[in-house]
Amino acid sequence: MLKRFIVGAERVLGFHAPGRNVAVFPDDTFLVSYPKSGNTWARFLIANLLHPQADIDFSNVNRMIPGIEVTRNRDLIRTPRPRVVKSHQYFDPRYPRVIYIVRDPRDVVISQYHFQRKRKVVADQFPLSEYVGRFVSGQTSFYGSWGEHVASWLATRHGRPGFLLLRYEDMVEDTPRELSKIAAFLGVASTPETILQAVERSSADRMRTLEKSQAQLFSSTKNTRQDIAFVRAAKAGGWRSSLPEEHALQLDEAWAPLIRWLGYETVLADKEPVPEDQHAGLFVGERP
Amino acid sequence: MFSRLIGGSKMLLGLHKPRRSLKIWPDDIFLVSFPKSGNTWTRFLIANLVFPDAPVGFKNIHKLVPDPYGTSKRDMERMARPRIIKSHECFEPRYPRVMYIVRDPRDVVISQYHYHRKCKKIEDGYPMEKFVDRFVAGDTCPHGSWGENVGTWLTARHNDPRFLLLKYEDMVADTQRELGRVAAFVGIKADSERIAKAVERSSADRMRKLERAQADECGLTKDSRKDLSFVRAAKSGSWQKDLSEPLVAKIEDAWPQLMVFLGYKLVTRGTAGQPAEFSSLVSSGV
Repeated sequence: MLKRFIVGAERVLGFHAPGRNVAVFPDDTFLVSYPKSGNTWARFLIANLLHPQADIDFSNVNRMIPGIEVTRNRDLIRTPRPRVVKSHQYFDPRYPRVIYIVRDPRDVVISQYHFQRKRKVVADQFPLSEYVGRFVSGQTSFYGSWGEHVASWLATRHGRPGFLLLRYEDMVEDTPRELSKIAAFLGVASTPETILQAVERSSADRMRTLEKSQAQLFSSTKNTRQDIAFVRAAKAGGWRSSLPEEHALQLDEAWAPLIRWLGYETVLADKEPVPEDQHAGLFVGERP
Repeated sequence: MFSRLIGGSKMLLGLHKPRRSLKIWPDDIFLVSFPKSGNTWTRFLIANLVFPDAPVGFKNIHKLVPDPYGTSKRDMERMARPRIIKSHECFEPRYPRVMYIVRDPRDVVISQYHYHRKCKKIEDGYPMEKFVDRFVAGDTCPHGSWGENVGTWLTARHNDPRFLLLKYEDMVADTQRELGRVAAFVGIKADSERIAKAVERSSADRMRKLERAQADECGLTKDSRKDLSFVRAAKSGSWQKDLSEPLVAKIEDAWPQLMVFLGYKLVTRGTAGQPAEFSSLVSSGV
């Protein structure tokens, strides 16, 4: 009863994070991804692009690009419009415009494993094999499995107006190019200089430095283990050296067609070829 | 502020509709569909099957097969478990087991058009063409477009043991057989007599009679026009005479692969392009 009273009071005051119940405005753009797919980095990039005069860091990025799972409802409603809003939700038909970041699930699983160690959700010795199994069946997050999440957005919005698909790997490879795509999608005037400035201000090195002094000021790092960093490798393809092949195979077996469609190489490939264009008919748009 | 205060107090007492915040239990079973796809009929079928001695009708259906948008949080939590819960949501990974009803979108659009007239969302003379455009764009309800709703579920769960796909057209053609599949999925031991009885008690005729007597006691029909009925034709394929060819073409052009995959024959286009491969897209790994 007391808990209900607190929840009710929080709701009256708008102190709760609305999550999937967020009020959507028609001029909103949502920055969506499965967790651990580069969303925070993208938020830094976009915030630095939109607010070149501001000093974007972990203390204010939640205010510049609010997140429906972390930002109070009253702050979300008060964010100047048009808003760019961060979300980890699987398909939500109400989102008018969506920037969707996808990342190789074999890197996502490693990143999530370390993040959940940091968050004390799993212990250091937690067997990776068990973690991979839980990841595949969608038990490691509130947002469905990686495959369900990605497919729910691709099957509904890809190739249609108002949807921008970005691969984390392309963002790592050529950040200015991918940020320019975002600028064009958002309708923000940009020059190579403003893009470069935003990229530099959002570099992994700078984010690491900021994290050291601001860990307690950011929703994802507050009250977590400080011996494990939030900004980790910031690289693509780390799974090749850190994920045992049997686990990579486990992910392939679950999602090989989707992994292939996204242009990621499967380990399974040699053993069991998957037709290249298997999903050409399902997803309306071009392969990334 | 005042409305927020009311909202907060309702929440305190558990009188609010939980909607997307519904607390889900691991033994819940969801009955999901895009609106106007036979969901209410199926709720009656299930309620009559599960509660053979209850007087199932419009006034109590929300307590037998509850609806997170129409049943209060308190009632939802006090229900006997396992619950069978109605929903129109697009793919929702938290739903443990799902029966999904799909219906030919060319019939769905006609049904929704009349339902919107009944609910006074559109006037009688509202151009069908305009409605079809909005339907295709997903602007006629808050649950995505027909293709989005159906597509997310098929992509994520088709061929998964936690998922039962029902076609409205099959249910009309052989209600007994399809309700038998439902019973098996839900885990109710029902002989053909019990199933036949549930089918009979959920017939369109009987539902029409119940609607006339109980329209004001049900959230689905309360405050709507009484000169139009909620239980309408209860048939499949009426689009062939009620929908002009250009409008049929608009719907077929919106979701050709999905319709072909479901066995809805296209009449305005030669081919659907590459057939959709839902079954192999996302296997659950469970």
